[in-house]
Amino acid sequence: MNCYLCERELPQLPSWRGLFLNDIQEVICGRCKNGFMKISGTVCPICGLPNEGLCRDCRYWETTEYAGLLQSGTSLYYYNEAMKDFLHQYKFLQDIVLSEVFARQLRDELGKTKAAIVPIPMHPDKLEERTFSQIDCMLEAAGLRYSQYLTKSEQVQGKKTKKERMSAPDLFHWNGKNVPRKILLVDDLYTTGTTLRHAAKELKKAGAEEISFLALIRS
Amino acid sequence: MKKRIRNHERKMPLTELEQFLTGRIWLREFMPFAQEEVDSAIAAGKIGVKKGITENKECTRCLERSPQKIISFNCAKCQSVCYYCRHCLKMGRVSSCTELIYWADPSPKPKTPHSFIWNGLLTNAQQRASDEVLESLSCNQSHLVYAVCGAGKTELLFPPLAKALEKGQRICIAAPRTDVVLELSPRIKAVFPDSVIHTLYGGSPAETGFAQIVIATTHQLYRFENAFDAIIVDEADAFPYSFDPSLEGAVIKAKKRESPIVYVSATPSDRLLKEIPNQSKIFGRFHGHPLPVPQFRPLWNYRKIFSKNKIPKSLTRWVNDRLAKKEPFLVFLPTVELIEQAIPLFKKLDARIEKVHASDPERKEKVLKLREGKISGVLTSTILERGITIPNVQAAVVGADEAVFDSAALIQIAGRVGRSSDFPAGEIVFFHNGIVRQMDKAKRQILFYNKEGFR
Repeated sequence: MNCYLCERELPQLPSWRGLFLNDIQEVICGRCKNGFMKISGTVCPICGLPNEGLCRDCRYWETTEYAGLLQSGTSLYYYNEAMKDFLHQYKFLQDIVLSEVFARQLRDELGKTKAAIVPIPMHPDKLEERTFSQIDCMLEAAGLRYSQYLTKSEQVQGKKTKKERMSAPDLFHWNGKNVPRKILLVDDLYTTGTTLRHAAKELKKAGAEEISFLALIRS
Repeated sequence: MKKRIRNHERKMPLTELEQFLTGRIWLREFMPFAQEEVDSAIAAGKIGVKKGITENKECTRCLERSPQKIISFNCAKCQSVCYYCRHCLKMGRVSSCTELIYWADPSPKPKTPHSFIWNGLLTNAQQRASDEVLESLSCNQSHLVYAVCGAGKTELLFPPLAKALEKGQRICIAAPRTDVVLELSPRIKAVFPDSVIHTLYGGSPAETGFAQIVIATTHQLYRFENAFDAIIVDEADAFPYSFDPSLEGAVIKAKKRESPIVYVSATPSDRLLKEIPNQSKIFGRFHGHPLPVPQFRPLWNYRKIFSKNKIPKSLTRWVNDRLAKKEPFLVFLPTVELIEQAIPLFKKLDARIEKVHASDPERKEKVLKLREGKISGVLTSTILERGITIPNVQAAVVGADEAVFDSAALIQIAGRVGRSSDFPAGEIVFFHNGIVRQMDKAKRQILFYNKEGFR
């Protein structure tokens, strides 16, 4: 097969792992993989931004009504050119097979969690327009089970200024299902953290006690 | 010579919608027109609608049908299993529940005035080929122009193009690479200043009106159907056209069924040479000088030497010679990785040496700077093997024995040298780690052209 991103042929190396462990298949080549930059070193304990101690945004959040909502979080990758191109092809060009690109990483991060995995939901209009939910599809590609306790009430975040985003009205509503004690929210892109905090607030109201998150990208 | 092509009385002007959609096949949701306008034209039967992916799981736009490219998914829009096409994804996704539309009710196109401004200087060989193309087009037969690099292929197409426009035909000039399209477009526009000419490639600016001539990358032809009275395929042997059979399908889909194809190439495939009955051959350059013949020079273990952060001695000598003589030069390398590894080393010889590869957004500017003498030389991948003309340029291929440099690529690279009549000679060196058959084939072929061209 060919690399999903650059279309160059992928070397097919048969391995014992692939044969017996039902390993997730690589769908991109080494060169494309190296284009994504993993976040490492000391990071902000809440949002995963490379930083000594709490980052500026999280320090601000901790002075608001959203203080303490998010226990901890992990962000996997930087928002570099390669990642921008990836998101463009996946979300904007709707190339659904790209949900497999980070399947292995997501499984490694989330496979052993005891918390309930909750993807950030899309607004129904947006979902219909895009024809698929990018986060649900990524979790499915990684073979992870997830559940949904929220519905999205308001339209997109993308085009707003940082200030507008941080003070947006409630973005999510509880869907009435019993919420487990431990929740792990999953989103693709952490920018200001508004989305995740709104989701956490609603889930806490509905009975969740410990909420952490995983973001694929920290911009 | 300025010739005004006779034209007939103007009939009803076309609506902008008809001008746009005639001969095209376009995603309904991406139409650059108001939705109500499109909807009412569909209701009136003016616009036809096709499913994006057919029942046989074939993409209606690019005709792709391999299961690796036609992907199934649970569609949240239509709440069922849909298929989408990965092959032409970058032009806007086609899926089972999207629709492609086309102009179903073509009206006779009003004949618009054309002028043909051109000094009309063709060599005897060009003139003969030009007449032969004209003859083939007039009886709807396909034709191959097999002409060496620098033979003046584009010029010989002007008279047949003028004739076609006079007849009110719609013509497409297609080339596999954007660089070639961008190079052709201003030349064609200068010769036919009154004609509506569209230039289409990935990311090209929007055009208006009904184009009599469309100059496009072969990829863009996925978006046409039953549109052209003739298609000229320039550089028919170049990547990706020669590697992606669906591009050939696109050319056939874009033309009307009876319309002929004119292939133009300096290095046609054996298949083209065998399959196209009408052929014109030009083996001499327009300025009458022979093609520069490649020299073979060994460059043993050059990869190892580069990985020790050194440039092999004989290559250093060659580059220093060019720098001393102030000759612009191109050094072709087999991989992008090797270019990256080598560029800092070459910068030490001269800081004005630059690198270029396929995904370099400044490619055009760098080629221009080389032409203007603002940079001294360029390290490049095979991306610059065709379409570029730089007076007095000298070329070297490093690793001419590697598989990426097949004989066609080597002939094209050699064809960059000595193109202008002011500097008809020049050096082309194949640095190698052992002579391979493709190098021999290229050299033999060039010697053959020189012999034939001077008969």
